[in-house]
Order: sequence, then C-alpha cells, then structure tokens
Amino acid sequence: MKKSKKVMGLVLSVLFFIGLVLTGCSNQSSESSSGKSSGKSNTPQEITYASTSKVVGLSPIMTNDSVSANVITQIYETLFVKDPDTMEIKPNLAESYENPDPKTWVIHLRKNIKFTDGTPFNAEAVKYTFDKLRDPKTGAPRASLLAAVDTITVKDDYTVVIKTKQPYGPMLAALAHYNSSIVSPTADKKQDLMKKPVGTGPFMLKEWVAGDHITLVKNPNYWKGAPKLDKVTFKVVPDVNTAISMLQTGDVDFLDGIPAEQWSRVQGMAGVKTLKKTGTPVSYLGFNVRHKPFSELKFRQAIAYAIDRDAYVKQLNGLGTKSNSIIGPKVFGYDPSAEKVGYEYNPEKAKQILKENGWEGMTIHMLVANTPGYMKMGEIVQDQLKKVGLKVDMQTMEWGTFLDVSKQDKFDITFLGWSNSTADGSELLYPNLHSDNIGASNVTAYNNPEFDKLVNESRFTVDQKVRKKKLDEANKMAIKDAPWIVMNHGVVTLAYRDNVKGLNIDPTGEWSLYPVYKE
Amino acid sequence: MSLDAAGQEIVKEMENQLNRNYFLKGIKVLFKQPLALVGFAIILIQIILAVGANWLTAYDPTAQDLSHVNLPIGSEHHWLGTDNYGRDMWSRLIYGARISLIIGFTSVSLGTIAGTILGLLAGYFRVLDGIIMRISDLMFAFPGILLALLIVAILGSSLVNVVIAISIWSVPSCARIVRGNVLTVKKQEYITAMRSLGAGHLRIIFKHILPNSLAPIIVFGAMHMATAILSTSSLSYLGLGADPATPEWGAMISNGQQYMWQAPHLVIIPGIAIALVVFAFNVVGDALRDVLDPNMNIDQL
Repeated sequence: MKKSKKVMGLVLSVLFFIGLVLTGCSNQSSESSSGKSSGKSNTPQEITYASTSKVVGLSPIMTNDSVSANVITQIYETLFVKDPDTMEIKPNLAESYENPDPKTWVIHLRKNIKFTDGTPFNAEAVKYTFDKLRDPKTGAPRASLLAAVDTITVKDDYTVVIKTKQPYGPMLAALAHYNSSIVSPTADKKQDLMKKPVGTGPFMLKEWVAGDHITLVKNPNYWKGAPKLDKVTFKVVPDVNTAISMLQTGDVDFLDGIPAEQWSRVQGMAGVKTLKKTGTPVSYLGFNVRHKPFSELKFRQAIAYAIDRDAYVKQLNGLGTKSNSIIGPKVFGYDPSAEKVGYEYNPEKAKQILKENGWEGMTIHMLVANTPGYMKMGEIVQDQLKKVGLKVDMQTMEWGTFLDVSKQDKFDITFLGWSNSTADGSELLYPNLHSDNIGASNVTAYNNPEFDKLVNESRFTVDQKVRKKKLDEANKMAIKDAPWIVMNHGVVTLAYRDNVKGLNIDPTGEWSLYPVYKE
Repeated sequence: MSLDAAGQEIVKEMENQLNRNYFLKGIKVLFKQPLALVGFAIILIQIILAVGANWLTAYDPTAQDLSHVNLPIGSEHHWLGTDNYGRDMWSRLIYGARISLIIGFTSVSLGTIAGTILGLLAGYFRVLDGIIMRISDLMFAFPGILLALLIVAILGSSLVNVVIAISIWSVPSCARIVRGNVLTVKKQEYITAMRSLGAGHLRIIFKHILPNSLAPIIVFGAMHMATAILSTSSLSYLGLGADPATPEWGAMISNGQQYMWQAPHLVIIPGIAIALVVFAFNVVGDALRDVLDPNMNIDQL
C-alpha cells in the first residue's frame, strides 16, 4: 500500500511538470487564435479598466498617488490643462489669465459651470479649494504646489487674484496638476470627499466597493457636453499577468503602465491595440557624494563611461528611451543640445581613469529597491562595473524600507526615479538636486552653489523664455558634474481592446475618458 | 542487577555484532525500494554536478551577455538557453546545485549538532529539561518559514544569514527528537550498570547514549535536507536570500517569473530542479527511516 502510494505520487508529480511544460509551449498559438472582437453596433457604452493597486481616496487635496489620480481626473477638473501631445498649458476651467506684475496672477474663470451637486463653480470655490490645499492644518501631501502663494482674493464672481511672495515661474504647471483640481465647497463642508467626491468633471461616482472596484457614471450636465460613455468601472487586479489575461479575454477594456517584460506579449494579442509615448518620468543612478571617492568628479565620470546604457535600454523592449539629459524631452527646460554634454560608453577610458587614481578593485555598496525595474538596472550595472574591475556589493530591499534607508547615507550608489507629473524642469531640479533639499528629496546630497543659483533663477521669474534658458544651463551643468547618470527616460503605455476609440495618454501617464467611446 | 566487567564485554560484543547486521540489512532494504534508488541517483547526480560545475560548463554563471537574452532551450552554445540577462542557464543550474547542496548541508549539520547537544542535555539532566524544552516550545509556536523570515529580517539578507536562519529553525525539532530517544535509552539497564560502575555523565552521554540515538538523528538530517533546500529557495524567491545575480534556484524563479510568457524555461528549469532534489531527499529520508526504525528491525531479526 505504502509503496504504491509513493509511486502514484511520483507519477503525478512527473505528469504535473509535463503539463507545465506543455502549457508553456502552447501559449503562443492560443494567443493568436483567441480574442476575436465582435464589431457590433449598439455596443453598450461601458468600459472597464484594471489597476494592480487600489485607490486610496477620491479627494484631489488629500491624495498623492497615480492610482487614485486615474479616477480623480475623471471626476474633477483643473483651471489649466496640459495638451497631451505638445505639453503646452492651456486654460480649462479658467478662461484666461494675466500677470499685471510678476508676483500677481489674475485668473478669469469660465461661467455657467456647476459641480455635480448643483453648487455653482466660481471664484469662491477656487479660493476655498486652494486655501484648503495650502493650509498646514489640512496636511495635504502636495501642499508644496502652492507653497509660493501669499494671498488668494476673490475680485468678483469669476475673477481670482493669486499673489505670490516672489515671482513664481512654475505657477501654471502647478495649477495644471491634478492635485490642484477644484472641489465643491458645499460638498467638502458636509461630507468626506475621499469617499464621496464632487467635482465639475465628466463623470460622477456611483459605487465604490473597497478593494474591488469603483463605478463611475456620466455627468449628463457636463459643461463641454455629456461624455459618450455611460459607465466606467475601475477594477483592482493585483497581479499584472492576470490583468493582461483579462484584457486578452475582453473582461477588461484597457490597461496602462504595461511592464517592459510583458510588452511583447500584449503587442502580439489579437483584438488588442497598444499605444506608447515618450513620457516625463526619468530613472537614474545616483552617487552619494558625501562618500569618497564618489565626491570626486573623475570617479563619477569613470562610472559613467563604464555603463553601457544602450545595451540596458535595449532590454526595456522599447519602453524606455536613452538620453544623457536629466530634464527629459517631454519636460519643460529640455533642449536637444543637452544630449551632447554627457558621457558615452567607453570602458577603456573608465579602466584608465580607475587605474590612474588607484581605484581599481574597489568595492562599491549598491542599494537597490526590489521592484523589477530597479532590479534590472542594478543587475546590469553590477555586471558592467565588474567588467571594468570594480566590485559591487548589491543590497536589495523592499520599496518602503528602501525609501527610508536611501535617506540615511547608507549607500554609495543607488537607483531612483522621478515622475515629473508637473512636466516642469524646476520641479525636477529643485527637489532632487538643490542643496535646500539635502536629507530629504535630494538623496545624492549634491551641493553646488552655482547650480543652486541657476535653479532659483528658473523658479523666481515668470518669463518662460528666461526660465527655459536657466533650466537648460542648470541641466547641462548637472549632466557634466554627474551626480546622476540618467539610465532612461520613461515611456508611458496603454493597451486597449480594438473597439475602444478616442483613448489617449499624457506623457505624465494621465488619461481622460471624456472623448472615449466604444464601437 | 548489575553486570561484572566480563559480562559487559559480552554485551558490547553482541551490540557490535548487531550494529554490523543493522548496517548490512539496511543497505539491502534500501536497495529493495525503487523510489529510494531513484532518490539516491538524483542526489548522486546533484553531487556530481555540484562538484564538477567548474569543468562542466564554459560559462561564468553570473556573466551577462545583453545581446543574447532569453534564448530558448536548445540554442547554439547554450543548450538550456539563456536568461533575461543573457546568462547561461545550464551553468546557472549546476552552480545552483552546488549552492543548494552546500547551504542544505551546512545548515542541517549546524542545526543537527546544536539540536543533538541540547536534546542530549535535556533528556539526560532533569534540571535542564524544563528550560530547554520550554524554549523550543516557544520556537515551535512560530511557523518555520516565518521564523526564518524573522531571523533574516533582523540579520539582513544574504546566504550566510539564510544558513543561520535555517540552522536555528531546525534546532528545536532535532532537540525534541533526540530528547525523546535519550529518555528511553537512559532507562535501559546497561546505562544503570554504567552509572553504578562509576562512569561520568559526559562519558555516558557521548559514549553510550549518543551512539544509540544516532538513527533518528540521521533520518532527521536526511529529511531536513529537503526542507532546508526548499526554504533557501523560498527565502531567495522572496528576495531575502541570495544576491539576485547568484545562481540560486529560488532567486532564478523569482527573476524569471516576469518572463513566464516569453521564456517559460526561466522558471521551469529551476522549478524542476528544486522539485526533484526535494523529492529525492524526502524518499531517501523515508527509506532510511524504514531501515533504521528499531521496531521494524526487531520484526525482521
């Protein structure tokens, strides 16, 4: 009896593995045959989106994560918006604006717009929202967007005057950020917007089953005209492989942020279309310049020469672009001439510098967050540095722990990114590389007074031409000085069923469902 | 009722005879079990691969080749293909065999030695029994992998810390097994005889009780090899063990799972390797128990 049981066990386990191997092989053929779409008319105008994490809340004031932002941007609107293709900032809820002096912004609002609870949209609502956002008592995570603001006054029903302490260049970018969306003051006073949101946008919340899904329905009185979609469902599917399978079978209509490893799988699916665009996010290798010899430019240059970033970017399957510039091509302040400033792959030169300075065989302590993207950078750089004769001790940790440790001076090199959701260069260089932020968002502790001066000049002027010039100079200075080596600039992606029309994505990764319909 | 010196000689001789018989019989029983033979063969292959890894492949298991990534099984120069960094899968597999064998063996040896000593002390000295057994009860309260996770979380993630974690984890179970055995052996008349002849405690423990408790320790060790190898892989899979570049089987699966659709061999190869080795140590452990189990042998004798 005992023996026969064991034999059965062996047979079963062998069968199991044969099964595994077979499903692995047959997967390609099943992909191409399944998932034919039905091009019927009178398709219900309902769409389903899946994300791997859940929505934190639905108040633009109290949230600061991209998953919540995806829903919030359908419900609320901002005074200004960025054009998804040109990144130009255009009025939205605002009609126009003027600067009588560099510290004053007079914003004229659109008339006859109502929040979905019936409250009229006017200067009072704008003042209420912005005052709440910047009030320290609110504890808003992105209060910094309006940190430069001194006073906000209501001139008349449809005119708001914002005065800043100093001339503030990135003001429009800040007002176009989703965290500056206008909320209904009456609703905010009587209910928690995190759970019961009220905005002026094309959709309204119908149902929220925590951790499972959120359903939005159309706002029939939307000021630009009612949206074509009747219903939108935001599902939570924790595993990205499952989410992609659901897209294949049509249980989900679209996904964003497809991982590079899955891109070819999604592209090969019948009935599924993909869209990708150069985005604003940047990923970089950062040196801890508090440590020797990382504080020495020569050493940083040697590392920059040692890293074959073309080979790395090729591993991203097209979901990343190579660039030397810290300010990416889709971010304000970028000039193509910045590409010529950086250090190209040249392992011989790297070896020579290391040899001349006696740095050969040195051990580098590398700190890496264990998400697939950063692990890929870490492993590739580790191997490439090994090839020029450096030893790399790689320490990996979970994202939350990593964020703490990276602020504690316990590493030589690390990898990080910045999503640039305002798409403004000042909002990249100031938090990440200005000496004001050492110990906080400036993890490399880069400290260069000349650079600081240029960044400040870009922030405290409203002349966009001057700003662009100062940002370009600061950018080139930082590229030469190399506290960062840019690994890649991000690419934003969408994958959708082929009967979904009108879907577009912003380089910051945001999308609007207003123009979307189904065939 | 005590034995004189001559009587003891006779008993000793008889015992030696018995032991030799045990051993021969054991091998016979072992070879009658086909599954155990398969298990032995797998372990033998693993040992050969682990020892000969340097000669069996031309590739460094950590050397990347970014122009040849995700090559399938049966590719030219790479018969098991390459992984997502262009590292040769065959050389990763066999260097992984070495790692899992070394880690399994060291952690089991360390855990077993410590567990045996504690078990002997607890079983022999009534005073220590309470303390040692209550502490091991405390450790039993944690599910094994959780305890290992805790230890690695405190010490930091590296293979050395994985060895420490798995050794600590195996101490209480080993101690408990040994203690039970000591309690039975201790009551035997020849021990009483030894004591009345004036033998010291240490001499009795290590020369008489320990040899008579070896059988369950060996079985425990063999069975625990499987657990240790599986736990090492689990911890590495969770990112708490080996450095990701290390060709550890669990780390290989963790790394390959994102490519499951384009390159299923990245998870299937190390997956099969882990399953086979764990299976092998389990069946061999089972067979060893059949052989060494005193009750069964008494029936056969």
